[in-house]
Amino acid sequence: MSRTWLRLSSIAAVLALLLAACVGDNGGGPAASGAAASGAPASGAAASGAPASGAAPSAAGAKGAIKIWYSNNAEEVTWGKAVVAAWNKDHPDEQVTGEEIPAGKTSEEVIGASITAGNTPCLIFNTSPAAVPQFEKQGGLVALDSFPDGASYIKDRSGALADQYKFTDGKYYQMPWKTNPVMIFYNKTIFAKAGLPTDNPPLKTYDEFLATAKTLVAKGGVQAAIWPSPSADFYQPWFDFYPLFIAQSGGKQLVEGGAPQFTSPDGLAVAAFWKSLYDGNLVPKEAYTGDSFADQKAAMAIVGPWAIAAYGTKVKWGAVPVPTKDGKDPKDIHTFSDEKSIGMYSSCKNLGTAWDFLKFSTSKDNDGQLLTLTGQMPMRTDVAATYPDYFKAHPEYTAFADQASRTVEVPSVPNSVEMWQTFRTAYSESVIFGKTPIDQAFKTAADKIKTLVSGN
Amino acid sequence: MATSVTTERAAPRVDRPEPAGRMSWRRVPGLAALMLGALLFLFPFYYMVVGALQREPNSDISGAFPNPANLTFANFADINAQVDLVRTLINSGIFTGGVLLATFFIGLLAGYALAQLDFRGRSVVFNTMLLILVLPFQLFMIPLYVLIVRTYGLADSYLGMILPFAVNATAVFIFRQFFLQLPRDLFDYARIDGASELMILRRIAIPLARPAIITAMIVTFIGPWNEFLWPFLITKQHDLQPLAVALANYISTVAARATNPFGSILAGAVVLAVPAVVVFVIFQRQFIESNLGSGVKG
Amino acid sequence: MAVVAAGHGGRMRRLFGRDPIGYAFVAPYVLFLAGLFAYPLLVALYISFFDYFFAAPGAHVARPFVGLDNYAAVLSDPVFQRSILNVAEFILINVPLTVLLSLVLASALNAKLPFRTFFRVAYYIPYVTASVAVIGVWLWLFSGGGLLNGVLGPLAPSPSWLVNDVLAMPVIALVVTWKQLGFYVILYLAALQNIPRELYEASEVDGAGVVRRFTAITVPGVRPVTTLVVILATIVGANLFTEPYLLTGGGGPNGASMSPVLLMYQQGIEQGHAGYAAAIGTVLAIVVMAISAFNRFVLERE
Repeated sequence: MSRTWLRLSSIAAVLALLLAACVGDNGGGPAASGAAASGAPASGAAASGAPASGAAPSAAGAKGAIKIWYSNNAEEVTWGKAVVAAWNKDHPDEQVTGEEIPAGKTSEEVIGASITAGNTPCLIFNTSPAAVPQFEKQGGLVALDSFPDGASYIKDRSGALADQYKFTDGKYYQMPWKTNPVMIFYNKTIFAKAGLPTDNPPLKTYDEFLATAKTLVAKGGVQAAIWPSPSADFYQPWFDFYPLFIAQSGGKQLVEGGAPQFTSPDGLAVAAFWKSLYDGNLVPKEAYTGDSFADQKAAMAIVGPWAIAAYGTKVKWGAVPVPTKDGKDPKDIHTFSDEKSIGMYSSCKNLGTAWDFLKFSTSKDNDGQLLTLTGQMPMRTDVAATYPDYFKAHPEYTAFADQASRTVEVPSVPNSVEMWQTFRTAYSESVIFGKTPIDQAFKTAADKIKTLVSGN
Repeated sequence: MATSVTTERAAPRVDRPEPAGRMSWRRVPGLAALMLGALLFLFPFYYMVVGALQREPNSDISGAFPNPANLTFANFADINAQVDLVRTLINSGIFTGGVLLATFFIGLLAGYALAQLDFRGRSVVFNTMLLILVLPFQLFMIPLYVLIVRTYGLADSYLGMILPFAVNATAVFIFRQFFLQLPRDLFDYARIDGASELMILRRIAIPLARPAIITAMIVTFIGPWNEFLWPFLITKQHDLQPLAVALANYISTVAARATNPFGSILAGAVVLAVPAVVVFVIFQRQFIESNLGSGVKG
Repeated sequence: MAVVAAGHGGRMRRLFGRDPIGYAFVAPYVLFLAGLFAYPLLVALYISFFDYFFAAPGAHVARPFVGLDNYAAVLSDPVFQRSILNVAEFILINVPLTVLLSLVLASALNAKLPFRTFFRVAYYIPYVTASVAVIGVWLWLFSGGGLLNGVLGPLAPSPSWLVNDVLAMPVIALVVTWKQLGFYVILYLAALQNIPRELYEASEVDGAGVVRRFTAITVPGVRPVTTLVVILATIVGANLFTEPYLLTGGGGPNGASMSPVLLMYQQGIEQGHAGYAAAIGTVLAIVVMAISAFNRFVLERE
């Protein structure tokens, strides 16, 4: 059996090589670059962050069966299956098949590989905004503006916050779906043990926070006041530096208009604050396997409401906005959105159905379902007012609904992953391990990042 | 180190030097060291099993010696509820089995040829095999994926999972090195007698290389058994996914759900490890002498 | 003893070697390699000369030819240089330790011991268990508040093992040696089956002690497998990915435990610079092939 198959496959391989060598636009093979690279790129913008034209929306009207991916988080799966079933009942000719993929780093690898192979599903419901520029560069995403009601639908649903999700060319390559505004969770039992007030804990200013942290470690019986992961992955800043920076700077992104913002006095203040926590041994420099807050090794956590389901009855928690240097009115505090988007991918044949399903799954009802089942905030204007019943039944989520209107996203710029990695390396060596002075490390990182986001 | 002891022992004795299981004083320190080493090696696995059995996570030192009241099979039940253990085990079996078959038939031939048959271009093949071994999988991953999914159209299939792993280069290397240990004379006698190469391989080489084959099979087993990324790339359909994939998916979602998340991860790891250990225990018995000496006796 | 090769004609013999049937035997394997790895290998080599990233089929993207720029950037990248040093350090610790320990252990486990199966399984188990689970245990052992530091007390290094510039890599080397040992032990176990018991018996009759028997019979007897062990251990060391990835999360403090393949992963898959990653891979492969060739030369000399 194996010999014949191998012979066939070797013939196929030789043919594949020949094909790849001769035919022009085979994106995954060497030939494409051969064709495109002869001389300077034809359109001058091509070398920079200008979008690669993926599948032209000539199939924009096409309807038929589509496939979608959503995360394998149990509640999201429940939601996903329900939405798909409801759609399929009413659309026998446009059946939707749902599959699960794990959220997180692996999902980016898988999506990237699928884009190259051309077998991405029509919609992926857990696309990370930081990955969108790269997928777009690969020509894997469809600009939602190409649908007549594309941009208007997104703006109507998400309001002013939608602007952060446009790419440098002003188009929407992702639809903002759900947000998990990052706040500070604190363990009421441990706070009580340490003699701290549990109903309005002193966590507003950096000085207060630092003092509280010291008390917690000294008297609260915990190893750490708070335990953000110190590892060097590119996305870690989203859960230590970035939320505080956003709050302190009144809503700035890491980079705005091509210029790094984190070297401002605000950025340096945030970094200095974290450093003081590390220097005081209030925050460990090693990672914890598991959830330190749920395991009660840390008195606080900096995370979004998705974690509530995990803490459940294990921990008596409360939530406050992230601290700022001199304290601000909670109504003025912005934070990181930890948002996930929905992407429509260029390998999709039936773009019409995909767009219709996209609108269906983000309708008021289905967004409400999402909220009820998962506790994550759909990216809608004024969530609290739209779903009053839910918030009456779950008052602990109201703080998050309120915070959700003041969230800031990662900058939608070229080379965004590399930008975050560069930042993380600088932060790690200066703030966590104290090997270089902060302003020096940040300056070097800022110079590098400036070049990266300009698209070169 | 031959000393005057020689004269004492000149007359051949009937009894063997160290009869089975006999404990002489000389052996105690060696045995003790071995035991200590074994315990050291086993400890993390023991800790893993203990952690998997705990209801409440206990990551202190005392966690290694758990309170019996804290022990439960709940973590395993959690996994069983989320992951169809039977189906995924079958998938793992098919995936691993396919690889083992391909490696045995194709790899053994190649290993033998590389060691004992003299043909022009032999070192080219050997060096290519070495190159494949040397290069990290991450380098190949995406073009290989494109090749298998687009050119061969094998997405969502067992064959697509099996193909890149089909002939394990390490196994071929092992076969070659072991066949190198065998003297060429052995085969030449048979050739003189008119035996065909294939018959030589079947009747002489393979029985002699039995330990090597077992070793290579054990080694080839581990790769696909523990492999997560490739099968996951190939298919998202649950009923085709092997156990390692299902467990990895479970681990990535478990934090939000289980009573003892770390315990559940460990439970998953135990489930994945047990069949591999069982396979080893069964096959390591094959490591008995093949008594090569008698093969060349005049 | 002179040997007559039956049936192979004179001229064909010179052209194709003594046993042209060898071609038939390797054919399936060669076809497998050609059918599966030829394309990816060529692609990897090709893209290393371009500012390349993988794109959707049909996408019009610019991937300019950059010649040796990727290689120049790789070789002058301090992170890459550090990663090569890390891997060299790893290999220097891991390979000799592995060869020595696994051969000694295999010899011990080959003898007729009480509880032999138990011992064999004990030493093999780490190899079988998935890294993800084992890492948890090692983190627990080596972390700042972990077992080892608890035992060492005031002697514990500060910063603690895994976040220590100098100690991170040796710790990883130890962990990986421990984990991989089972594999090499069974390799040697298998090799030892082919050493005739008569040799040991005869030498014991001659009065040779345990050590002498080991160095005079065992070591030479398993030489081809020693080559195998050294080369495989070197390759595994050079391709180190999982342990730095899991143990020190993305390369440790200041890249103290960054490995070339981890860097390749970050650059190629996380950040989409496939051409740059391919250059890293090619450089790494050249280095490893060189080391392997050297090892083989030293070990396979007759």
